[in-house]
Amino acid sequence: MDKTQTDTGMARRTVLSAGLGAGLGLAALGLAGCTPSAKTSGSGSGWKQFSGTTINFISENTAPSAAIAANSKPFEDLTGIKVNITQMALENLVQKVKLDMSGGTSQYHVVYADPYQVLAPLSQGLTDLNQFVNDKKYPPVEKGLADFIALDAAGRFESKSKLYALPYDCPTMIWMFRQDLFDKYKSKMQADLGFDPTPSGKITWEQYYQIADWFNKNAKADVPYGTGHQAKQHDSLQCDFSNVLWAYGADYFDVPDIGTVGSQNPGKSTLTTPQALDAAKFYDKLLKVAHPSSTTWDWDGLGNAFAAGQVAMCPNWHEYAATNEKSLPGKVGYSILPTGPKRSANNWGGTGIGINANAKGNEQGAAWLFVNWATSPATQVMTLKSAKGGGTPTRTSVYDMAEVKKAEKRPSDMPNMLTASAVLEAWKPENIGLRPKVATWNQLDTIVYTNLSKMIAGSQDPTTTMQAMASQFDKVNG
Amino acid sequence: MMLPALLVLVLITVLPFIMLIAMSFAKVRLLGGVSLSMNGFGNWSDVLTDPATWHSWGVTLLFFVLAVGMEMIVGTVLALILNSMRRGQSLAFSLVLLPMFLAPITVGLLGNFLLDPTIGLYSWVMESLHLVGAHQSVFGSQTTAMLAVTTLDMWEWAPLVALIVLAGLTSVSPSVLEAASVDGAGYLRTLFSIVIPSILPVLLVALLVRSMDAVRYYDIVHITTGGGPANTTWVISLQLNEKVQATAVDGITTLIGQSAVIGITMLVFTIIIANVFVRVLDRRGLMK
Repeated sequence: MDKTQTDTGMARRTVLSAGLGAGLGLAALGLAGCTPSAKTSGSGSGWKQFSGTTINFISENTAPSAAIAANSKPFEDLTGIKVNITQMALENLVQKVKLDMSGGTSQYHVVYADPYQVLAPLSQGLTDLNQFVNDKKYPPVEKGLADFIALDAAGRFESKSKLYALPYDCPTMIWMFRQDLFDKYKSKMQADLGFDPTPSGKITWEQYYQIADWFNKNAKADVPYGTGHQAKQHDSLQCDFSNVLWAYGADYFDVPDIGTVGSQNPGKSTLTTPQALDAAKFYDKLLKVAHPSSTTWDWDGLGNAFAAGQVAMCPNWHEYAATNEKSLPGKVGYSILPTGPKRSANNWGGTGIGINANAKGNEQGAAWLFVNWATSPATQVMTLKSAKGGGTPTRTSVYDMAEVKKAEKRPSDMPNMLTASAVLEAWKPENIGLRPKVATWNQLDTIVYTNLSKMIAGSQDPTTTMQAMASQFDKVNG
Repeated sequence: MMLPALLVLVLITVLPFIMLIAMSFAKVRLLGGVSLSMNGFGNWSDVLTDPATWHSWGVTLLFFVLAVGMEMIVGTVLALILNSMRRGQSLAFSLVLLPMFLAPITVGLLGNFLLDPTIGLYSWVMESLHLVGAHQSVFGSQTTAMLAVTTLDMWEWAPLVALIVLAGLTSVSPSVLEAASVDGAGYLRTLFSIVIPSILPVLLVALLVRSMDAVRYYDIVHITTGGGPANTTWVISLQLNEKVQATAVDGITTLIGQSAVIGITMLVFTIIIANVFVRVLDRRGLMK
């Protein structure tokens, strides 16, 4: 969930704030009052107090972290703090963070706290950031916590009284498509299919299937397959399927706010409802017309395949826009995902960064300065411009900046901003897709993608798949 | 004199092993320092009644047979070829050994790259030979995924078998080979009647080394298939890792106790395999 921005300036911001405030329960709005308004990062006092300290930041290998790793000198100049940045695949990060927190010391002071795989199961190993936010000896959070998008989902667990992380990135799944191919074939496709195939939230998943199938049969000269999916037996498969599950009106659990602040008592799963079964049946059907290599692609594999012209469209994280613009400049369009019987659902994959509770003394303070700096508007603009791939800002104010707004249209020096209108739409409460934030998510995630992998491989029918998932969920959650 | 070495040994092997056993009977909590609360045989019963664990053992056994079998055959053939070369043996030997020096994770990445259906060289070759369909990935099919990861492992470790066997081949008495030749024995007769029996102890050692390693297979399958599709490559190491990552519903207790049980069963399996081979060697009087 996250993001902001638009053509209409205030109107867009208003929509987003209202949407996020209501739908994501942004406690940030309430906390804003107790947050000192700040000037710009780099100004004011307090930045140099931990000069000479060295801290380590462990992150998933994401575009924003690559950008910060390539340009951390401004932070070191500002604070005198040396920061070492380690990047790795998320599953490896989870393991390292868990082991680090068990040792009583902290090898990693700043932690990339994925809400589902780190924050929920390990929240007790993270420091409550309110102590820094409210302490006058530290530079204030620029523009206050209210400026953050999806503060609850990225930063809290179970309770709104504690803040474990500040939103750091916010990739969201949207519909990526070859604009050039849709332009070329639009009239023929419309004549054959009987509807306007232009990607938008008005297109249903069933129509998405028909478009994919049409490309398979009629456009082989331009593109091998209509659609591709991140359907490897991996976390990515669960992410891809969740969009369809929610679109059909189903969910993993029926617990209020389980996607925002989360819960330790999710109760029985709701994966055997008629809507869930319909979603599974449709997803199974969709994968049958997808690029056959979909079952070997995670998000990176799908991103590379799309950039290589293997598929005409796909659902993927919006941060791949930067890659698209390098490989297919000017040829890619973006939309929110198709709608199901219930709604369009767009999986939010944002993450916060927090501080290891084992960090001591100066390390804690230095880590907070880094967290504050890395999530500041100025730094987020820097990552947006980075040649390393571009960031996905988590600050409302960033999307309101004139230079950022300008980048929404080509030619753009911030290619991720080309997705802005789609992402903004995706973040509306009625369109956002939030996975359940529960401590057992690592196990549940494996259950979901393992069973789905069996289903799309033909080893299990959709009904058996969902029943298996549900019973395994209930066993894990007691 | 031996005390420092023994202390080091205790620190790096005995204590962790004792800890492993203790964890297998306990609920393990990590946050705030490792703490164990005894759980009796709870972890053992959970693991031993878990269908997913048994499935992963089945997959591991299949991998074990395929990989070790292929490595023994290909490694032995490579060694025989190298041994018969009169020129360029050193260069060929160096090239053959190269894969062995790569980290398994690198082999997995190489496999991903070479077998990518869009840009992979091997995929292009196989597609040209109609061995796979257009845009089909060998990692994406239930029928080929296991074969693909097994072949990658074979590519990396057959050279080790070749190295061991080649060392054995140099010990075959030239006079015996000469006598066989004089008596009119052909290549195959000489190979199966003289060479193979002569290097049998070395072959068993190679088999033992590779067997012990094959049980712990993880890196390549992790990076290529992730255990899929449909769990067809979900080896026991992946199952162990899955338990290590998991957290119970209270958010604090981990399932590391269950992963400890799996680790111990892997160890037991390896010991059994090693003992079988050692007994075979001993029975044939080859241990001396």
